[in-house]
Amino acid sequence: MAAAGWLTKDVAVIAVPIVTLFLGLLIGWLAQRSGFCSIGGFRDFFMFKHTRLLYGYMALILGAFAGYLVFWLITPAAFENFFWILHKGLMPVPGAPASLTVAAYVILAVIGGIAVGLIGVLLGGCPLRQYVMTSEGNLKSLWFVVGMCIGAVVFTMWVSGWGVALLKAAGIA
Amino acid sequence: MIMAENKAKSEEKTSCLDTIARNPLYVGLAIGILAAFVQVLLISAGGPEAYGFCVACHTRDVVNVAVNDIAGTKLAVAAISQNAILPVMTVIGVLIGAFVSARYYQEFRKKAGSAVSYIWYLAGGIFFMIFALFMGGCPYRIGLRIGYGDVVALIGVIAIIIGVLVGIKIATAMAEREG
Repeated sequence: MAAAGWLTKDVAVIAVPIVTLFLGLLIGWLAQRSGFCSIGGFRDFFMFKHTRLLYGYMALILGAFAGYLVFWLITPAAFENFFWILHKGLMPVPGAPASLTVAAYVILAVIGGIAVGLIGVLLGGCPLRQYVMTSEGNLKSLWFVVGMCIGAVVFTMWVSGWGVALLKAAGIA
Repeated sequence: MIMAENKAKSEEKTSCLDTIARNPLYVGLAIGILAAFVQVLLISAGGPEAYGFCVACHTRDVVNVAVNDIAGTKLAVAAISQNAILPVMTVIGVLIGAFVSARYYQEFRKKAGSAVSYIWYLAGGIFFMIFALFMGGCPYRIGLRIGYGDVVALIGVIAIIIGVLVGIKIATAMAEREG
C-alpha cells in the first residue's frame, strides 16, 4: 500500500517543488533572523553554557514529534510507520545506503555523526547555517556549499558503493 | 560593544513577528511542525518518511537530478524527487529566503577569506556531505527521525555530540598554539 497524503499523487508530483520552495523561503528567513544552528547549539552549550541555540534544536525534535503525532491522528495513511520503532524495530528510516543490517547502520551513524560534528565545529556551523551565511555574503560558506554539491555526486557515484563493499567485506552488512 | 550595537539596532524595528523569528526556540518548533506538515501534504508523491526538511539530502536531490539531466547519468535520488516534476527545492528556498532577509534587515556583508581558507571550506563541504549521507541525513533530518521514533538517529545525535566535543578540543588546542 502506497502512503497517501492530503494531495493525490497526480497533484503532489507537481506540488513538490512549489511547496518545498516556500518551505525553504520560510526556513531561510527564520534561520537568518535567529542564527539557528544545530551543531552551533551543541558548541555554544559545551563551550559557554549558552542554551539559546541548543533549545532551538531540541524544540525542532519536539516540534517534529508533536507535528507527526497530530497529523498522524488526522491522516494515519500519510505516516505508515509512525511511531517507527513500533513498526520497524531498530532499523533506521531509509535515507542512508539501502538494505544493510542494523549493526552496519549503527556503525555508519557513529562514524558519520562524529565526522559531521567535528567538521561542523571546525568550520563554524551546520549545513543550514552555511547556507544562510552564504546568503549573508560569506564567501567561505559559499565554498562550503559548493563542496557539499560536489560531495553529493562523489558520494552517490563512488563512496556509497565503497562503504557498502567495505562493510560487506568486514562481514557486518 | 558590537553586540550592544546590534541589540540597539534590533530594538529599533522590533515587530511581534520578528521577535518570534529571532528566537531559535520558536524557529526550531516551526521547522519541526512544518516538516511534518510537508509530509502529510506531499507523501503521495513518494517517500522516504521523515524527509520534510534536510539540508544534506535535499541538496543531494537537487544536484543529482541536475547532473542526471545534463550528463544523462542515473544517480540515485529520493523517490519524492524522482517522481515529482522537479526535485525538492528546499535548499534553493533557504538561499533566497535568507538572502532577502539579510538584505531587508541590512545584515548582508560581503566577507572574503584567504585562498587557503576557501580550500579548507571546499574540502570540508565535500567530506561533510559524504559523512552526512552515510549517516542518512544532516543534523536536521536526524532530529526529524528522532521525532519519528528512529533509534539509530538517536545514536547519530550522540555521535554528533562526541564529534563536537572533539572539535572543540582541537579548536582550543589550535588557538592556544597560535596565541
